[in-house]
Amino acid sequence: MSTDSKTRFTIPKPKTVGLYVTLYGAAFLFIVPYLYMVSTSLKTEDFAFSQQPYWIPPEITFQWYQAVLQGAPILQWLINTLVIAGATTIIVVIIDSMIAFSLTKLDWPGKRIVFTVIIASFMVPIYANMVPLYTIISDFGLLNSPLAVILPFSAIPIGVFLFTQFFKDLPDSVIEAAKLDGFSTFQIYLRIVLPLMKPAIAALSLYTFVYTWNQFLWPLIVLQGETSFTLPVGIVTTQPTQVFQPGAEMAVTLIAAAPLFIVFLILQEHLVNAVQMQGTTG
Amino acid sequence: MATKDTGSILSRLPGVDALDSETRDGVLFALPYLLVFGVFLLYPLLKGLYMSLFDWNAFNPSQSEFVLAENYVRMVQDPTFWAAVRATALFVILTVPTLVGLGLVLALGVSQDIKGKRFLRTVFFSPYVLTVSVVSLIWAEMYAPQYGPINYYLGLVMSNPPAWLNSFTFAMPAVALATIWWTVGFNFVILLAARQGVSERLYEAARIDGASTWRAFKDITLPQMRSAIVFVTTVQLIASFQVFGQVFIMTNGGPNDTTQTLVMYLYRVAFRQQEFGYAAAIGYFLFVVLVAVSLVNYKFVGGDD
Repeated sequence: MSTDSKTRFTIPKPKTVGLYVTLYGAAFLFIVPYLYMVSTSLKTEDFAFSQQPYWIPPEITFQWYQAVLQGAPILQWLINTLVIAGATTIIVVIIDSMIAFSLTKLDWPGKRIVFTVIIASFMVPIYANMVPLYTIISDFGLLNSPLAVILPFSAIPIGVFLFTQFFKDLPDSVIEAAKLDGFSTFQIYLRIVLPLMKPAIAALSLYTFVYTWNQFLWPLIVLQGETSFTLPVGIVTTQPTQVFQPGAEMAVTLIAAAPLFIVFLILQEHLVNAVQMQGTTG
Repeated sequence: MATKDTGSILSRLPGVDALDSETRDGVLFALPYLLVFGVFLLYPLLKGLYMSLFDWNAFNPSQSEFVLAENYVRMVQDPTFWAAVRATALFVILTVPTLVGLGLVLALGVSQDIKGKRFLRTVFFSPYVLTVSVVSLIWAEMYAPQYGPINYYLGLVMSNPPAWLNSFTFAMPAVALATIWWTVGFNFVILLAARQGVSERLYEAARIDGASTWRAFKDITLPQMRSAIVFVTTVQLIASFQVFGQVFIMTNGGPNDTTQTLVMYLYRVAFRQQEFGYAAAIGYFLFVVLVAVSLVNYKFVGGDD
């Protein structure tokens, strides 16, 4: 910090003070729900039901975490969620990057129509489709299987759109040069396009992973047995204690939120990029 | 090894000249996505329209009876459906302007010359990575009339704080507030990027011309951020029209169906009452409304884009 800027900040303008108070005040309010979750999960029954909020519990207990881990198949839900989000992400990155490569760098009749149909389908909400989709999944015998979630979520067009935006910026001369060097189309895709698109792939992977991990309604419909649930479905449909306990609810909530939250704190630049990409290209 | 040569093998197939090989590769590369897209997005869209014309038998589809527009007639005459439309409209009105406005205010604030930008961005964006179940469970407890912190503090300044999720008047605003906390970060980061993309030269020029802060906001910031604002508004409209998880978990549509939104009603009709034909009709209604809203939004707000 140079002395220059220090002297500048010793007499803050009222406007600056207002800005700081507003933003940090808002930030404080944003943190309150987290504080409530953490502190309640550590409270004994008496303090959790107490009318007065104890933000720092006078007495700390881990009983709810113990009860929740014993009372519900949380580990199984975690694995299910990981499998579904992971598989969807891998499929989306592969098939979306392939078609985006084809739409931007290869010339074939009808590709404009295909692109238009895909972009128009942006507006088809998966929820409006849920009844017919349910019958299709059921006809395939996929109910209760992770594929019941993975396949429909692999069809969502946003990744195609984002990848085409990025592939457009890839100079055609690079592709032409590779062709002259005798590269096949597949080699161009694998050895040139994909390595050059690493940042876009990282951003889209993370976005798809988070998006799929957090899905609630569709998994709720197609995953019907307790052992096939994902975390978001499991934590609201199964009560881990015999009677309602605020502490147990917040413990299970915290366990469900923690994995992705930690990933977010580490990789937030990529996730923010992925979200911002949508806004600037859209 | 095998995959490495796919392209050249294909182009060596008999009867394929140089021009056709690009077409062939183009179609091959598009095919995997198009298959998934066709089976799990386009086909259901068409099947939904078909199903909505039947008294669909969920357990034995071949026993379904063709009823033409009966499901749509029933929908128009169904008071519970209209209550769901009203509940959805209320939720949209409560959330969309606030989500866009607050997102814009936070973005403009954080884009100023202040300390702790990164911290602020992390805090405002963080709830967006939570799943709706986590958000709903936390807020449902905070709203609890007996032991929740919100009514404890309200009780210090007023004698009869509302029963929030059990209240006819306040249940929907309560769900809306939780939603705003959850998703405003999405708009915030997009608008922040848009604001940072506005050239500072424009503001310098305005300062030299003696333009007020308000004039600079109205004549530079808003027009320059227009496409980003249209984008977040459209995304929020679509998301809010389809609200489900929050109401399902926090209120289960209650009290007395006041928070039963369209997707929630659709879920009930389909998976509690097993009336697939009627549910498909409601789904189609929702689809048409969403398309109309997006188009209108782009036409009137989006302008030239």
